[in-house]
Amino acid sequence: MAPILEVEKLTKYFGGLPAVKDVSFAVPEQRIYGFIGPNGAGKTTLFSLIAGALEPSAGRIRCRGKDVTGRRPFSLVKSGIARTHQVVRPFRAMTVLENVQLGAHFGRKNITRTAAARAHARQILALVGLERQADTLAANISLGDHKRLELARALATDPELLLCDEICGGLTRTETHSMLDLLERIRRQGTTIMYVEHDVKAIMAVCDHVMVLNYGQKLAEGKPDEIQNDPAVIEAYLGKAGSQKKGRTVA
Amino acid sequence: MSTAVYAPSRHESRIRALLPGLLLAVLAVLPSAGLTPNLIRLFFVTFVWVTTSLGWNLLGGFAGQVSFGFAVFYGLGAYTAALMIDRSVNPYLSFVAAGLIPAVASVFIGLPTFRLRGPYFAIATIGVSEATRVIMNNLAITGGASGYRIMEHRPFHQVEHYYTALGLAALAVAVSLLIVHSKFGMALKAIKQDEDAAADLGVNPYAHKLAIHAVAAAFTGIAGGVFARYAAFINPQGVFAFQTSVYILLMPVIGGIGMVWGAVLGGMVFGMVEEQLVANFPQIHLLLYGVLLILIILAEPDGLAGLLGKLFRRFRTPGRKNGGAHSGSREIDKVLRRAAGR
Repeated sequence: MAPILEVEKLTKYFGGLPAVKDVSFAVPEQRIYGFIGPNGAGKTTLFSLIAGALEPSAGRIRCRGKDVTGRRPFSLVKSGIARTHQVVRPFRAMTVLENVQLGAHFGRKNITRTAAARAHARQILALVGLERQADTLAANISLGDHKRLELARALATDPELLLCDEICGGLTRTETHSMLDLLERIRRQGTTIMYVEHDVKAIMAVCDHVMVLNYGQKLAEGKPDEIQNDPAVIEAYLGKAGSQKKGRTVA
Repeated sequence: MSTAVYAPSRHESRIRALLPGLLLAVLAVLPSAGLTPNLIRLFFVTFVWVTTSLGWNLLGGFAGQVSFGFAVFYGLGAYTAALMIDRSVNPYLSFVAAGLIPAVASVFIGLPTFRLRGPYFAIATIGVSEATRVIMNNLAITGGASGYRIMEHRPFHQVEHYYTALGLAALAVAVSLLIVHSKFGMALKAIKQDEDAAADLGVNPYAHKLAIHAVAAAFTGIAGGVFARYAAFINPQGVFAFQTSVYILLMPVIGGIGMVWGAVLGGMVFGMVEEQLVANFPQIHLLLYGVLLILIILAEPDGLAGLLGKLFRRFRTPGRKNGGAHSGSREIDKVLRRAAGR
């Protein structure tokens, strides 16, 4: 299957410091592609580059074969690339429904009629389990619901490729489980997901393919079990393996 | 204001829907009810101010872009209409041009300034406004600083001016209400709160700001044109003055920023008292506006409309479905809305 996203030697410098350097990969359709790495490894920067929030210093990004390097976020949304943020950014003075409605209005479907956009938004709220909070102001919902709202807004734009940045960050074990179930359901509906998470267990549980970033560079890439046993990955996470640590796996 | 949060009763919403029509009807028959020419003039000026207030509110209230440069549009509209009417062009055709030229100017002003955010945008608009005033002070075809006298070769009917201004203000209300309830208005509301987050959902903040800036400039410009035709004399120190920009900004703030009826209320109050203030306190009338502004920002950021809404809710018949039990959470909602910059 042709990849939905191809990234070629993507590089981003902040001043003289490379936050992402020469990272290349291809995301196959309808997969969950995970990214892990220590703090400051460049995961969020990588997402910002793909979603258009940052402009790369070098490298190319292609979506379905089309070059989308340097395009702005609102235009990428129309091409089917949506993103959720690690730190949620709801429109607090709008209701939960209105937050999602906006995505329906301006996403790939570009729905003009209010009633149609609302109907679409309600479907999404039902999918993520927020229908009961539909008419609550976004300022008044819990963190768990905020994370769901963040996801619902992105989903309302009808993305082909969804970039989820730490969607489980700060959630309880139970909430994390239901969120991972939700990601799985979204993938089964045909959306490709790129997933960054600090929680290695969560990544290993849902991803088909995992990339490990370290100091902005690709350290390893492969199926979850391959990654868990990769000596370079173990070294990055736990330090250089001494003789007694031999054979330990990540997570 | 979301009806979903404060679902008003059917009776109430019917009254709310009728009120604007009632207001318009009263204002429409007022000149026939024996109003003195001086009062007709006062109402005329008030309608002009209400229009500029609504215009500013489109950009400042809906999209959250605080501009100190609306005198540019007001002045451009005034001069456009003046030059055309003086050359015997139909005044109403001149008003259309008085809307178009400021709208075009707004795009040129917006292209660079909308790259700036928050206070930097506001500061840039001051610069543009002052630069325009200096240019107009020295422009030969408009008579420079000595101003421009308009000779209209038609008989003067004060009531015609009254209805023109009333019609314009009503149009500004209608367009504002249409925008609030549209997809476009929703995008503006989102941009006001967080333009990056809006962009993540497919909204192009730059294009939206340019578009609403143009609509706001058009209304402000036509208001300037309507005023110029009545005044028959305009000068840069008047229409292009920084003070004019401040007045235009002050009205929606007094009335209730971001609310259509707030902007109307602010324009009405300002139009009615402005001349009295200037006449009675010529030395300190600006100081009074300053004090008023500080009081509003501290005590009631939602302005007069917010204050009236609060009073209305407090004195509403108790025991009503939406009355007692939910009033607590409603107050919390209100506080949170305010905290969120709404």
